[in-house]
Amino acid sequence: MTPTARDPGALPLAGAAHGEIDAAAVRLKRRSQAVLRRSLHIRTVDTGSCGACESEIRLLSSPYYDFHRLGLFFTPTPRHADCLLVTGPGCRAMDHALLSAYEAMPAPKVVVAVGACPLGGVFGADRYTRGEITDVVPVDVVVPGCPPSPLALIHGLLLALDRIEERITLQEGEQ
Amino acid sequence: MNEGESGLTLTQLARDGTSSQPMVSNLRMSAAAAGDLVAKLAPIARFADMFVRPAEHGLERVLVFTDDQSGGYLRLTCPLDESFPVPLSRVLPAAYQEECELYELWGVEPGGGKPVNRVILPPSAETAEPLRLPGGDRLSSEVRAPHVVQGEAIEFPWGPIRGAGQESLYLGLVTTGEELLDAYLAMFHKHRGLEHRMVGQTLARALFLAERCEGLGSVGNALALARAAEAALGIAVEPAAEVTRCLALELERIYHHVGSLAALGAATGLSVGQAEAEILLEDCLRLNARAFGHRYLFNLLEVGGVRRGADLAALDSGLDRLEARFESLVADLLATNSYVDRLEGAGTITADAAHRLGLVGPVARAAGVATDLRRTHQVSSASYVGFRPAREQAGDSLARMLVGAAEVRESLRLVRHWVRSGTPLQDDWAAPAPGQDHAGGPAEGLGWAETCRGEALVHLEVAEGRVSFARLRPAATRNWRAFDDALRARNVFTDVPIVEASFWLTVAGFAR
Ligand code: SF4
Repeated sequence: MTPTARDPGALPLAGAAHGEIDAAAVRLKRRSQAVLRRSLHIRTVDTGSCGACESEIRLLSSPYYDFHRLGLFFTPTPRHADCLLVTGPGCRAMDHALLSAYEAMPAPKVVVAVGACPLGGVFGADRYTRGEITDVVPVDVVVPGCPPSPLALIHGLLLALDRIEERITLQEGEQ
Repeated sequence: MNEGESGLTLTQLARDGTSSQPMVSNLRMSAAAAGDLVAKLAPIARFADMFVRPAEHGLERVLVFTDDQSGGYLRLTCPLDESFPVPLSRVLPAAYQEECELYELWGVEPGGGKPVNRVILPPSAETAEPLRLPGGDRLSSEVRAPHVVQGEAIEFPWGPIRGAGQESLYLGLVTTGEELLDAYLAMFHKHRGLEHRMVGQTLARALFLAERCEGLGSVGNALALARAAEAALGIAVEPAAEVTRCLALELERIYHHVGSLAALGAATGLSVGQAEAEILLEDCLRLNARAFGHRYLFNLLEVGGVRRGADLAALDSGLDRLEARFESLVADLLATNSYVDRLEGAGTITADAAHRLGLVGPVARAAGVATDLRRTHQVSSASYVGFRPAREQAGDSLARMLVGAAEVRESLRLVRHWVRSGTPLQDDWAAPAPGQDHAGGPAEGLGWAETCRGEALVHLEVAEGRVSFARLRPAATRNWRAFDDALRARNVFTDVPIVEASFWLTVAGFAR
């Protein structure tokens, strides 16, 4: 799949986007506090990205997007993570590290696949890469784009919160 | 012209060679003769690359040298089944990484009983079976080079998963506590076999893959590949398209160096500086998007030209603001003593080491080495008029930061010149370039570009419009070679992120 000017990574961000971010900010913070009763913690794993997806992820905490005000934080350890943000096409040499990170996370947990790579849109499955990371860890939310813009990532994190909420409701129903 | 004590130059040594494209000469000889020639070349030329390719009568080893004073490449080919009398890296320390890779990929020993590090295959893989030979299909879950750490020291393992938004890489930091004694890098977790994947593909697909070799350097790598294909197929590029490519290349350099400033801010704990640089980085990316439709300038190049032109009005309107913010950021940073002190003396590379390791780009220029393909290896005369390369002498993180700042200024000047001086530029969706169907071949071409991290090289062979062999050598491949040296040079633990941010390399480029 060749990304085109229509994918989110290619969309120029207009100044008007700020209003959109603010609205999303308020919604997201309210939601994460209602659902988790605390902030959402995110661990990132690169399974062979080209580096552009990482650049957009790093910008999430920059002043333009400032995702801390939305109640979102990166965490250096999977033990504190609710959400695993995975980039790259699933290089086989990363299988072990990816799976260990996933298994170390407490439940309920979600996996967000970032960009065209983990969806198999850039490389196919062969001896180097998995093509799709679903072969290694279950994916709950996909954020398409090559790379997806920080705004698209925030949208993806909003959907991740939905999944966590569903899981909590399910757990509570079982108890 | 770069002359050794004997007065020889690369051009003279290449005199007997054949030339398949301008600025590139080829020599073919036995390994023994090549060993002699390499000894003559080592002091007067820069070792740029070594790789193995399949040829009619078995495998061949190709070495690429260049002259940073007068430009031009020399491609030296010899049979792979003959070994060098002494290990190549004894004469050319820069070649050690390639020696290790060749051993693992093709089973070629460096000669002279020199031990090689395993850089690709994991120690847990039970076989040393070469990856590219028939039956070689051994990639497992752990990839580390084996080594011994003794005495008071311990190896602090960091990776392959590291901090938020950082690329995967294993860094073994050998320390007694505070002081760093040594560092081991294992970089092939992210190996995607790009060169291997390109074989049998169309040139458009190869270009798509070259862009994704390093996303933060997509234009540079794609440009080197496009130029290699154009050289192979004899495709001429319109001057307007050529300048448009250079425009994108300079925009890439600007956001790349600004990204390094943001990372340096984070590494030194200077939150305000980091935030200011991140604002500027986002501004750069938005300007890229307005000018070319993509924040990281993907999908812009094609073999023979560019796929679309720049929105010049949008670009023009953003330049002044960008420059003003950049200058104020740099002035503030340099006025902050705590910041400057941390950078000064961190990760020092000497000019001698830079020569020895064949370093390229800003890392080499910060160590006093005059190497910039935009000055010496120009493909078209239209683009870099009045270009002034940056240079510093100290070789430390501060010198790299200063080189970056000077390069942003120069790139802004060039972009403004191209946009405002009426230089013909592609300003709309491009008409299909000539030679679109890329028929013809078999032929080979060498392509290069001075990317934001330095020289990128691509050697491409094409048959019937499809890639039959590809070798990518992004700048990161050369410069990571100096990273562990830089860490060893009297640093403490907390200098590691500073040195990494000032190098600002990608793992993706190294691992290909
Ligand atoms: S999805 Fe695109 S931008 Fe992201 S890592 Fe893959 S190739 Fe790079």
